[in-house]
Amino acid sequence: MSGSPYASPSEADTDAMLDAVGVDRVDELFDIPPEVSFDGEFGIDAKSEQAALRGVRRRLSDNDDLTEFLGRGHYEHYVPSLVDSVSQRSEFITSYTQYQPEITQGFLQVLFEYQSLLVELTGLGVANCSMYDAATALAEAALLAKRVRAADGNRVLVPGFVRDSHVDVLRNYTSGSDVVVERYATDAGNVDLDALEAAMDADVVMVYAENPTTCGTVEEQLCAVGDLADSHDALFCLGSDPVAMSILQRPVDVGADVVVGDASVLGMPTSYGTGLGVFATRKEFLRQVPGRLVGASEDDAGTRAFTLTLQTREQHIRKERATSNICTNQAWVALRAAIHAAWLGADGLVDLAERMVELPRDLAARLDDVSGVTAPVHDDRHHIREFQARTEQPAPAVASALEAEGFGVHAVDDHTIQVCVTDANEHATDAFVAAVREVSE
Amino acid sequence: MSFDVPDDLQYLESHEWIDPATGRVGISEFAQDELGDVVFVELPSVGDALDQHDELGVVESIKAVSDLYAPVSGEVTAVNDALTNEPELVNEAPFGDGWLVEIDFDSDDLEATLDSDDYRAQIA
Amino acid sequence: MEHYEQARYAPAEGETNEPLLSENDQTTVSVDPSLPDDLTRDTVELPSLEEPELARHYVRLSQQNYGVDSGPYPLGSCTMKYNPRFTEDAAALPAAAVHPDRSETALQGTLAVMHDLQDYLGRIGGMDAVTLQPPAGAAGEFTGILIAEAYHEATDGGHRNEVIVPDAAHGTNFASAALGGYDVIELPSGDDGRVDLDALEAALGENTAALMLTNPNTLGLFERDIEPIAEMVHDAGGLLYYDGANLNALLGRARPGDMGFDIMHFNVHKTFATPHGGGGPGAGPVGVTDELAGFLPDPHVRQSAGGDYELYTPPRSIGKVHGFQGNWPVLVKAFAYIDRLGDSGLADASAKAVLNANYLADQLDYEIPLGPFHHEFVASAGDQDAADVAKRMLDYGVHPPTTKWPELVAEALMTEPTETESKRTLDDLADAFNAVAGDDDAALADAPSRTTARRIDQTAAARNPRLSWHDLD
Repeated sequence: MSGSPYASPSEADTDAMLDAVGVDRVDELFDIPPEVSFDGEFGIDAKSEQAALRGVRRRLSDNDDLTEFLGRGHYEHYVPSLVDSVSQRSEFITSYTQYQPEITQGFLQVLFEYQSLLVELTGLGVANCSMYDAATALAEAALLAKRVRAADGNRVLVPGFVRDSHVDVLRNYTSGSDVVVERYATDAGNVDLDALEAAMDADVVMVYAENPTTCGTVEEQLCAVGDLADSHDALFCLGSDPVAMSILQRPVDVGADVVVGDASVLGMPTSYGTGLGVFATRKEFLRQVPGRLVGASEDDAGTRAFTLTLQTREQHIRKERATSNICTNQAWVALRAAIHAAWLGADGLVDLAERMVELPRDLAARLDDVSGVTAPVHDDRHHIREFQARTEQPAPAVASALEAEGFGVHAVDDHTIQVCVTDANEHATDAFVAAVREVSE
Repeated sequence: MSFDVPDDLQYLESHEWIDPATGRVGISEFAQDELGDVVFVELPSVGDALDQHDELGVVESIKAVSDLYAPVSGEVTAVNDALTNEPELVNEAPFGDGWLVEIDFDSDDLEATLDSDDYRAQIA
Repeated sequence: MEHYEQARYAPAEGETNEPLLSENDQTTVSVDPSLPDDLTRDTVELPSLEEPELARHYVRLSQQNYGVDSGPYPLGSCTMKYNPRFTEDAAALPAAAVHPDRSETALQGTLAVMHDLQDYLGRIGGMDAVTLQPPAGAAGEFTGILIAEAYHEATDGGHRNEVIVPDAAHGTNFASAALGGYDVIELPSGDDGRVDLDALEAALGENTAALMLTNPNTLGLFERDIEPIAEMVHDAGGLLYYDGANLNALLGRARPGDMGFDIMHFNVHKTFATPHGGGGPGAGPVGVTDELAGFLPDPHVRQSAGGDYELYTPPRSIGKVHGFQGNWPVLVKAFAYIDRLGDSGLADASAKAVLNANYLADQLDYEIPLGPFHHEFVASAGDQDAADVAKRMLDYGVHPPTTKWPELVAEALMTEPTETESKRTLDDLADAFNAVAGDDDAALADAPSRTTARRIDQTAAARNPRLSWHDLD
């Protein structure tokens, strides 16, 4: 086999084209000095489509067949078939960023509808058409806070239970500024208000809180957090997701200035952490928003039309003074989330969210009946999708034993596991409870 | 195309003008034409102190961002708030309703600016 | 020209634009979950459509959208080549749907794909170690900047605060360096469109952390002085960073590692044909030399002596640049593409990309001031406004080139046909270019007239931002 199966010119055409260009061989068109030319081999054999697909399948077959009760920032809900069939349409998936709006109205409208969904759920005035994931969105929020705050300051406060990985991303993204990221204490699965109040001073530019939290609890003190931030002239950044937001306190009502999080809870199957970074904020910060924005306008015929707008914020125009370096974002994931949300509608979204309150409550109660297990750890709290459970046996051993039984859970510390249950795995709860009993008793 | 360059104003090479009589500052007709449709203007606040050639603000069109520079040192005494909702005034009346700020300044600074003939020669 | 009489995306006579979802019935749902009132919101108001209506809504919207499966897309520097469909099947395999917090033992298949992709990319780029974590090219650049910073910090105290970027570079280079806290030194290009060695000498100094370079550059020109450039940068104590946007021109003929680059990112969409999806998801793997391997993001995938794959933290890791491991489905697609094409296919992809660009250029009436170019060229629209040229090309049923950039060429038409267009398509594309070149000002100013939307008022959109359906009257 020789050549790329996707390089279109035929052999006869190639000859004619070489003729037209006036060279005998393609090699003559390359202006590469011999001293940096590569004449070695990669050692990769060309394959048929079937063989290449088989190669991926063969490798992936080494992934264990696991029923995952895993969450902590990456969640799965059932994705309706419509999402795949529509999002895989060539016109969507093989298009580029909408630099020519006159022939990309379709994608622009979907992104406008996605932005609208987030505006409805957050109550904030503007949402962009995506960041990479929740962690990078949180980092961009900190950078925005630093830019918009009139007074100097450099402290960003995040609750203790946020994933280390997300805090690490936040630290890396703010490493070019003088921002210092600090964790504040939490108590019984919620923020510790006293600790937060003690940490506040005039140097704080942003306070972050989550709802639900990384440990699955509903945060009950958001208004107080918002007030604390406000009284210190700091921004309040709230982490959430579109399913949770459809029933929990509306971010704008608790004083949130920025909402970040992962919207790929809609539209995406479990995908090894692929995200869809939510970024919504107040309109007064519009000029400081990172990433792409779709706006409504009119065309020459006076018809409503959509276009990328306020692009002077972006790197291709403002270069080193852009609000972010982001170019390509997660547009197609946003398209999938928008389709899923539309498919659910208001009723479906709220129903789904209410199930996400009931499922962990029921499962925690059943696990609590297993001897050697206490669940949920935060028994005064309400939960969304997931909860923590105390195990008499070491948690890593419990997690390993469950994995051997075909179930995935998190071991979060020596004697605590975390369990996530959604519409995607609830069918397996009986077997899961039995397995927990098996390995715990 | 020839552009209006009023004789009673002083200019910077970066296309800002200042009225020596009032301290009012704007951008030239030539500059607004180069920029195209202005969609946003960012200005300092009243009371801000500026040094000559400090960044005064930013004017944005669809595809370009231009920094504005202070033609003179001094304190900002007035800001054209109308530009917040009508940035197009910069295009429509660069020497009139599209002014940017007023600065209380020291007339010595004017020596480092261009008169209308010099500026006209620059944009010719 | 017969072929382009009817633009592909033109709406039928009398057809109006697709209504917004919100222009259908909206349902307001009162929230009444099993939670206390003070922890819940009152209502949610969203459109309510049944699946059949929704299917049509999205299909109609797709019909108002132009992809590379719709027709040629010679958007220079963006590399819109055909996306083989089998890679979608590869990424959609049920076994690919895994949670990132699985244990390594339950994740051997995913780690195998990642390990092998790291290995392939290392060979292709001439790099010793590769991370797959950055979720897009710009994120790859930032990762490279963080690695450079950590390296300098470890080796000579971290006083270096400048990154040099050529004036014709992608805007992301400037923004990524600035995000890392660096002062950006813009390097003016020489008259020949390449790096001016004197200007580079003047820009280099004891504060130089890195030079970021694309090769071939954005004009499609190979930086023939790359050896002396590398030597100068290294002599100054800086690192050489390769922006992989144009690697698709060089596969099998030259490797960044061999040219003296220390760090590089790959744009898997541009080089390995993963779909762009209308603006992502992308992936921006980063390759480094041995000397820098210890700084790669956490975690990295490696194979143990026993043959198992494992995640480990490089000894001086910069930490994480994505909450998890980047855009995994995109990585699967890139792996499948590389594995299918192999050495011969990859080399042929670059060869045909360069041939196609040169052939198309030869057919055009527009002047192309700088060469010899490789996979893309920058023509000048001359007296015409390049943005108008682009709009007029829409009327001929094709996607236009990138316009007005790089600014080294007046009224730039930056054109990249890619290897996946046939001679016939290139001939048709040339006809479209040449027809526009012959069009008068009125035709250009009026364009486009055969598209879903006529020319859109950008000024109104920016002066009065309406960014959700809540902002509409």
